[in-house]
Amino acid sequence: MDLTLNGRRVSATPAGDATLLDLLRDSLGLTGTKRVCDGGACGACTVHLDGRPVYSCLTLAHGCDGHEVRTIEGLGSAIAPHPLQEAFAAEDAAQCGFCTPGQLMAAASLLASNANPTDAEIVAAMSGNLCRCGTYPKIVRAVRRASAVLRSETV
Amino acid sequence: MNDNSVHRKNTKGGGAAEGSSTPTRFVTTTVEVEGRTETRVVEMPAFALEPWGADAALTHVGARARRVDALVKAAGRPGYTTDIRRPHQVHASIVRAHVARGRVVSVDTTAALALPGVLDVLLAADAPARTKLFSSEITYYGQPLAAVCAESVEIAERAAALIVVQVEKLRHSSTVAQAIAPDAEPVRPGLANNLLFKEPRTNARGDVTAGLAAADVTITREVRTPCVLHTALEPHSAVAEWDGDHLTVWESTQGIFRVRDNLAKNLGVPLTNVRVICEAMGGGFGAKNYAAAHTYIAALFAKRLGRAVSCVVDRAGEQVDTGNRPSSVQRLTIGATKDGRLTAIDLVAEVPLGIGGWEGGPGEIYHELYACPNVRTHETFAFVNSAAMAAFRAPGHAEGAVGLEMGMNALAEALKMDPLELRRRNIATHDQKKNRPYTGNRLSECYDEGARRFGWSAWGNADSRRVPGKPHLRRGVGVAAQIWSTGGGPPSYATVRLNSDGSADVLAGSQDLGTGTRTILAQVAAEALGHKLESVRAIIGDTGATPYAGNSWGSMTVASLTPAVRMAAVDARNALLDAASGLLNAPKDLLDTRDGRVIVRDTDRSMSFGEVTTKLGNVMIQGHGSRGPNPQDAGIVTTGAQFAEVEVDIETGVVRVLKIVAVHDAGRIVNPTLAESQLEGGIIQGLGFALFEERVLDTRMGLPLNVGLHDYKIPTLADIPLIDGHFLDGADVQANHVGARGIAEPAIVPTAPAIAGAVADALGVAVLELPLTPWRVLAALKHQTGKSR
Repeated sequence: MDLTLNGRRVSATPAGDATLLDLLRDSLGLTGTKRVCDGGACGACTVHLDGRPVYSCLTLAHGCDGHEVRTIEGLGSAIAPHPLQEAFAAEDAAQCGFCTPGQLMAAASLLASNANPTDAEIVAAMSGNLCRCGTYPKIVRAVRRASAVLRSETV
Repeated sequence: MNDNSVHRKNTKGGGAAEGSSTPTRFVTTTVEVEGRTETRVVEMPAFALEPWGADAALTHVGARARRVDALVKAAGRPGYTTDIRRPHQVHASIVRAHVARGRVVSVDTTAALALPGVLDVLLAADAPARTKLFSSEITYYGQPLAAVCAESVEIAERAAALIVVQVEKLRHSSTVAQAIAPDAEPVRPGLANNLLFKEPRTNARGDVTAGLAAADVTITREVRTPCVLHTALEPHSAVAEWDGDHLTVWESTQGIFRVRDNLAKNLGVPLTNVRVICEAMGGGFGAKNYAAAHTYIAALFAKRLGRAVSCVVDRAGEQVDTGNRPSSVQRLTIGATKDGRLTAIDLVAEVPLGIGGWEGGPGEIYHELYACPNVRTHETFAFVNSAAMAAFRAPGHAEGAVGLEMGMNALAEALKMDPLELRRRNIATHDQKKNRPYTGNRLSECYDEGARRFGWSAWGNADSRRVPGKPHLRRGVGVAAQIWSTGGGPPSYATVRLNSDGSADVLAGSQDLGTGTRTILAQVAAEALGHKLESVRAIIGDTGATPYAGNSWGSMTVASLTPAVRMAAVDARNALLDAASGLLNAPKDLLDTRDGRVIVRDTDRSMSFGEVTTKLGNVMIQGHGSRGPNPQDAGIVTTGAQFAEVEVDIETGVVRVLKIVAVHDAGRIVNPTLAESQLEGGIIQGLGFALFEERVLDTRMGLPLNVGLHDYKIPTLADIPLIDGHFLDGADVQANHVGARGIAEPAIVPTAPAIAGAVADALGVAVLELPLTPWRVLAALKHQTGKSR
């Protein structure tokens, strides 16, 4: 199978029952996407499939054949961060940081479809992503901050 | 702050090598860890430092510095154990018991070993006895019975399912009542009975009977708190790799040195041959303090196979076998005079510990939080056939506060007194357990500031409980307080070294659980060096590279480590000034440091640290620091108050928390942003404890029923109220010379009782069992309606 991963064509031969999460972490070595519940309950493994957020632990790898996948590694890096990553750092929206990649991919998806979300829209879009350290208040602030930055960039 | 001349009481130089040590070099001190007092030997620091007072002019300490690894975390790459990929790494999976109590009759690994990709199986006979792996006596559901190693996680998990374990079931005890019944069998081999210390534990001061007789008003309540699970998002995990007889283990842990010590002792390897690394970890909350089954499994397979082995506990294993906050039943009686002075507190409590545990129970806070001459707590800690408890963020106090504070609310109601006023009248002005003063207890100011921020006085009348146009909703408010020993203590060491370009490294054997240890240590070192924060890096989480530090538990890290780091930085700065004095042709006492430059006071002459160190070539400037003893004549506590506003739907029973105001006194705050993050984290975990979280155990079968994150509910973004977290300004100069105390655990203690109080205020009836689920709320309302008819 072939897929476009973070903008590059990638070939892979996953097992028939491998999930996209297995493929990313175990075959391709992209460990930014985290495995927490492995059952669609926590959102830590959120990635984009053709621009839409999916739980990669519930997505079969072979179903991604010919499709486009974007992970946290494709969003930005510590050296060249996406405005959302910069906003999470500025607002201290990552404590242990383990849920953070999933939070960021959920937030990126929200801002792609809604450039200026209300707090209620942020809550609705991101309630599928659990955090145990308690960064939720700062996540909302970070998404607001990134939204403002991205809108000012597009003007 | 002039730290130029340090007076050395002791030197670690030639004198000691010749065998003559200063008589006062080693002293004993006491350290409070998770509510327990430990006596420890401590080496006196080589020199003393003046405390940074509350009004000290500090640049980096107290600043809202950004978390140093924030962007690395936002990029998903800080180096978690579960992300470690060593060359030729293979994977282990654990076979677990599916009965609460029993005996292993046989283990058949034939089918598992025949599966392509399976490399090895580990059984009880293969493990050193000290690791206690794979006992044939099953004492709880989820107990490891065997392990299998394979080329991939998927193959290992499939193979684990193919291992056939025949078990003879035995009668189990899941509850305290079952465990202490006359015909109960020992829940694990070797127990005389099923009680911790063989009998209930009673602590008392004064005369409770006389105190209750002297009371004008007494109340009695029975309050229940649930068993809750730590639920760190990164599971327990280890990657082990041997190089000859040297073992390196990457472990998601709160204590790299303790894991090293556990591994060395239980595998029979010298300490120097074991290196434990934790570059980053995805949360612990008290559950990751030791090497555990997964650690030994990884190390043993790695030795047998000669390959790097990872063992990551899966989510079901994480939720059933890595610790919990045990449930409690608290039957309490409080007596008071009619003006609201407490005369007696009496508690009878039951705690099912699980198959192991300790006495960090709900009783302790009953002795500490309020001034009361007569207090008795009688706690029955029973071993039962479920997973062992583990310290979970303020163990004992978080659940004890629920009972005590609901009791105080009931007392306020009986006295027709404002619950806040009742609390103000009973502030503990000294450490009543040990009859000594506190270094500080500003709880009264916390009440004042919290009430002001919350608008407590506006909630006087019943009309404020109604929501206009929404007759099915009721609002209510509650208040609760907190006390927790947070002094930290020795031993903790740090080294600060200046590199040849003038940049600085801080080395300390601590770890960053997500609290911000790296950032805090860099801030303190930059402050004491007079350096730029971005030029200072903290190197932690590696026993092979750093001097010793203790576990990050008991809210101890900042108060234990920052004095050692400050001292190491002062020591390094002192050496730097010795070198700079000649280069700048100025006496040392005219030199100062600022923003990474050595300056000659009242002149325009200066050199950057890098210019000095470059001239020194490879002469390395290093400073060493250690944590001195605690003051022996004073208790060191963080106190605080939290206020909650809730909205309850009396038709559905659903509780929503609208607002939490928290004000705490933790001495000096090294970084307000990180401190607020800790506070919000504790409050949100406390909210989960109040409203959602409960491990459900089927007592007939002894099986946990909600092991996944679908069924074990932790708070999500939609549950979060407005949170206003605040710390009083100040510094605890008696506690240590940085002036800081701990904050992580205090944050969780008052949240659940404040919410429970607010729900009782909204409904006019208290719900006495947590979590405050819709059915419990509706049942309490129904019971109240029945009574009023």
